[in-house]
Amino acid sequence: MILGIETSCDETAAALVTLDGEIKANVVSSQADLHARYGGVVPEVASRRHLELVMPVLREALDEAGATLDEVERVAVTQGPGLVGALLVGLSTAKALAWARRLPLVPVDHLHGHVASLYLEPDPVEPPFICLLASGGHTLLLDVRAYGGFDVLGTTLDDAAGEAFDKGARLLGLGYPGGAAIDRLARGGDATAFSFPVARLDGLDFSFSGVKTSLLYAIRDLGDRLEACRSDLAASYQRAIVRALVQGALAAAEQAGRDTIAVVGGVAANSELRAALPGARFAPLALCTDNAAMIASAGRYSRPLPYPRYLDLDAYASRV
Amino acid sequence: MLGERVSRASTLLEDVDALLRRAGAHANDLEALAVGVGPGSFTGTRIGLAAAQGLALALDIPAAGVSTLDALAAGAPGAQTVIDARRREIFVAGPRVLAPADLALEHGTVLVGDGAIRYRELLEAAGAEVPPDDDERHLPRARFHAALARNFGPAELVEPLYVRQPDARPDK
Repeated sequence: MILGIETSCDETAAALVTLDGEIKANVVSSQADLHARYGGVVPEVASRRHLELVMPVLREALDEAGATLDEVERVAVTQGPGLVGALLVGLSTAKALAWARRLPLVPVDHLHGHVASLYLEPDPVEPPFICLLASGGHTLLLDVRAYGGFDVLGTTLDDAAGEAFDKGARLLGLGYPGGAAIDRLARGGDATAFSFPVARLDGLDFSFSGVKTSLLYAIRDLGDRLEACRSDLAASYQRAIVRALVQGALAAAEQAGRDTIAVVGGVAANSELRAALPGARFAPLALCTDNAAMIASAGRYSRPLPYPRYLDLDAYASRV
Repeated sequence: MLGERVSRASTLLEDVDALLRRAGAHANDLEALAVGVGPGSFTGTRIGLAAAQGLALALDIPAAGVSTLDALAAGAPGAQTVIDARRREIFVAGPRVLAPADLALEHGTVLVGDGAIRYRELLEAAGAEVPPDDDERHLPRARFHAALARNFGPAELVEPLYVRQPDARPDK
């Protein structure tokens, strides 16, 4: 089995996955409630919490799988991108665990992890495909040619799609994380009530900072009438973001000549996005937000570093 | 004592590996862990604790935390310990965090630690004695952590000594 560990942002996660891609345990301890008080993730607060949670989460994963460390053949851990202080908690734990048991270790790129959430049983997606990765930290269009990697076709030039949902939710007086809150509020709203244009860019890049500003102005203009319009605002705002994502994914598939579109990351849980891309493959809901099963899954496709050749690994904040 | 190495957080496990090889020992020979819990660099403290937790889980052995201030003091009898807390502050026994100028000093007090080196001029002007930068009393040595460790138990119960709260303030 592969032991996966993920601590790149505000979820502390451990998972056990077989070499065939079957999930034996997938434990995620979210810190969302903790960070809700601050309106977003505070790196030092997140890092402290990871250190408190990483052992209980590891033990729970072993319990859930009914396994012991004797059955672990390989350790896979997120090396980046993410909050370096948070990543170092998982990475240091993983290195120590692997070293003490003389196991190989696979450093996993978090983005590759999200893509690899599609490779798990019972319904794995096979490359090649276009992958839309949309989360609180990333918005990427990827050409996934093979299991081991991908080419980046487009990315956001400013806010990530999930970040746009979070900021919009904050403007609408909803809690953090904002994606699910907007999704719920939007269900009772008219998506055509307001026009929030998303900037059109050359190529396959995204920009979401303008749509957030449009929402801010709309809220200011409404004044006293805001309360009656909140669900319409949420629906229109969501429509604008989803439309940009869908147009990007379709254009990427056409440009790369791919028949399959797959969607991963926290925004893949959005109900309107799922409805707007009926032919696409979506990561299972439990694997959309950050988790360690996807990290263990990615660990199946990268070459493991043999004991003890991983002791000098460092975390990285962003891809160069 | 079979061996000792001075490490930085980022190379901690490489040094653990080299230390055991030098001593002709294997990870399985370890019976317990003593780990520094700070105060000091938050990230450095967490790297040490996370590594100790991983080792403790993998080897099924207990751990005990030792204050970095206590370990420094054990290596410098008669001296007061001063650790750099960044942001123009220091950690001192208590543990407390304060500005170097607010440290109450008796004339001739010997100060050791990276905070004493960093604020040497200011502290010496206030009457303290700070040994030369390369004096080994300025570094917390792992042998003192090992000697001071008491009450071994589950590694996840060993708590970091941050002393200072995170900067963030809740919105509401």
